[in-house]
Amino acid sequence: MKITINNQPLEVNAGTTILEACESADFNIPTLCYLKDVSNNASCGVCVVEVKGAKSLLRSCITKVSEGMEITTNSARVQDARKTNVELLLANHPDNCLICDRNLNCELQKLTYVFGISGRRFVRTRKQYLDKDESSLSLVRDPEKCILCGRCVAVCSEVQTVKAIDFTGRGIKSKISTFLDQGLGLVACTNCGQCALVCPTGAITEKSSISEVWKAIHNPEKVVLVQTAPAIRVGIGETMGMPSGSLVTGKMVAGLRRLGFSKVFDTNFAADLTIIEEGNELIKRIKTGGTLPMITSCSPGWIKFIEHFYPKSLSHLSTCKSPQQMFGAVAKTYYAEKTGIDPRNIVVVSIMPCTAKKYEAKRPEMDGAFEYWKDKLNLKENESFFDVDYVLTTRELSRMFKETGIDFAHLHEENFDSPLGESTGAAVIFGATGGVMEAALRTAYEVFTGKTLYSVDFKAVRGMEGIKEAEVDLDGTKIKVAVAHTLKNARIIMDEIEAGTSPYTFIEVMTCPGGCLGGGGQPIPTNAFIRQKRAESIYFEDANKGIRKSHENPEILTLYTDFLKEPLGEKSHQLLHTHYYSKNNTF
Amino acid sequence: MDSLNSTIVSETVLDEIVEKYKGKPGQLLTTLEEVQEVNPLKFLPHETLSDVSKKLSIPLTQVYSVATFYSFFNLKPQGKHSIIVCRGTACHTKGSKALLEEVGHIFNYRFDDSNDESFYTTPDNEFTIKTVACFGQCAQSPVISVDNIIYSNVNSLKLLEAIKKIQRKKTKE
Repeated sequence: MKITINNQPLEVNAGTTILEACESADFNIPTLCYLKDVSNNASCGVCVVEVKGAKSLLRSCITKVSEGMEITTNSARVQDARKTNVELLLANHPDNCLICDRNLNCELQKLTYVFGISGRRFVRTRKQYLDKDESSLSLVRDPEKCILCGRCVAVCSEVQTVKAIDFTGRGIKSKISTFLDQGLGLVACTNCGQCALVCPTGAITEKSSISEVWKAIHNPEKVVLVQTAPAIRVGIGETMGMPSGSLVTGKMVAGLRRLGFSKVFDTNFAADLTIIEEGNELIKRIKTGGTLPMITSCSPGWIKFIEHFYPKSLSHLSTCKSPQQMFGAVAKTYYAEKTGIDPRNIVVVSIMPCTAKKYEAKRPEMDGAFEYWKDKLNLKENESFFDVDYVLTTRELSRMFKETGIDFAHLHEENFDSPLGESTGAAVIFGATGGVMEAALRTAYEVFTGKTLYSVDFKAVRGMEGIKEAEVDLDGTKIKVAVAHTLKNARIIMDEIEAGTSPYTFIEVMTCPGGCLGGGGQPIPTNAFIRQKRAESIYFEDANKGIRKSHENPEILTLYTDFLKEPLGEKSHQLLHTHYYSKNNTF
Repeated sequence: MDSLNSTIVSETVLDEIVEKYKGKPGQLLTTLEEVQEVNPLKFLPHETLSDVSKKLSIPLTQVYSVATFYSFFNLKPQGKHSIIVCRGTACHTKGSKALLEEVGHIFNYRFDDSNDESFYTTPDNEFTIKTVACFGQCAQSPVISVDNIIYSNVNSLKLLEAIKKIQRKKTKE
């Protein structure tokens, strides 16, 4: 199809939108409500362009090109309209940017600046002032900052099929809300935080724990241990001015030490531990006729999803706690015993790419260490403590780095502390979709067959395809496995299981697109390109690790010899495994 | 609120209604419409919204989204009689704001007009007063509707007369 953009001739395929056509010719058009792969409801009017012969300006995000179309992207009329449309949005938007979580990382703020808007031209039309929703343990919604772009609604319903939020009301009473305007913490929300990740303003943010963490660090009686999830090392650099997907493991460790944490440990250590337990659980289920397919349980958004939407199938979940929770339980038992520190004085802080982890840490059953110590130390119920005390997202950590003025990009690399800091390549790939599966296969193969696995790369389970399948030959026993990311794809897998047609033995489910590297707590923006970059860094780190199989991690082996004794043993069950609950049934 | 529970439409009635519309285009709207109609207080209690959601397999938020979008749907119990004052532009210019305040005065309620859809039900559940954006009768503005009868070119006298008519009917009963 022949068109012209700003008098420059261009040939594009039919079905291309004006926006895509313009971008392909390097005429970038500002957008606000539009977000590639997420939403194009054309509500904001920022992406308008002038098309010869058309009466009004057209929204380039939804208008398809037609033969001979003559498009102008930057006429005075276009610029005026864009500016006015942003000014209209500002009518109901507060201008307290200085104290907003998204200050300097807000799309509305940015457009206001670049369009040269210098004042409030239109008066507020919304008559009520809307309250913040702080009912969720993971997320805070501030409807006053919402510009009704619909990105969160789209991501929640299309990518995650959770539909916790939607537009309610009409006209100036329109807002994004939940069923009966209940708090997000009271409805079937999985806390995945994809809404926060796509929100152009500060209307949805994580519930911050920064001040609590500082308080713990500043308390001389506390030993504050920090653990970092696999996906942080490929995300945090972006917030500190480095290129997308920068691999910054050593700098991150150095930075954390400079914040004042007593010890810098690695969730990857616990990921290796998870693999030992989960791999053995899988083999046990295969050999003893247990519930199959078995599904991974590392992703807390996914756990809450299955509890709400598929409660009949909870027995398919691995009983393994997530690496975050295993770490907390081991830190407050094994590490406490080893070092002689009173577990009540240990504070475990997790750095997670995830908002759902904040909820997971506060699940009532996540107090394995307290149960362990209860009788030994004669603790009363009101002295109970969680295995993990505070969870910070990648974004929150970046804010702490900035608060202390750390020059992150120039930090010298440092290593994790021992004995909860060693990890293998199998653990780092937990951060990418397919990673847990691949890591589990590396261990399960060797445990199941007793043979050495020479080629550790299971490439069929890598990549960004929604559902990936593979057949694995465990020395004669063939099993089919599947990997799904995003809850939309998890739903497909679950419908098969509930219909009795699932051909799989083992399934990995990750809540977020691309796995944890695309998690709801990761730097903003996160998009397909950035996810790809982060994934590349993760597999690079794996390939360059000396040890790439979880069961060869020397610190894990010591943990078993000195403390846990055996996989799936008594202590494992007490500390590393959990159970799930059916939540209010919905669909 | 206990008395309201008795006004929830029974499961069987709900099932009958859902059966009629399930799977057809516009199933949610038509179902909600009819369920509200059979409710003695002409509204959609929360339980009903949840039940409709379950029976039609439509997410709760979507049901709520639709129910809050259309002013036709009531999420609060309605009085036996309705008085609807049009607050559209044409009626506004012909003094509908004063009319609304007058209705409020009659029933001891102050409409402060801070919402564009004001709503009030008398404590005895006899009258519900609300506003709409437009009746489409602008030529005869200002317009009010009392128990679904539309009164045009309304002034204070006409308004009082319309309301008295209902009250007279009630005393006869």
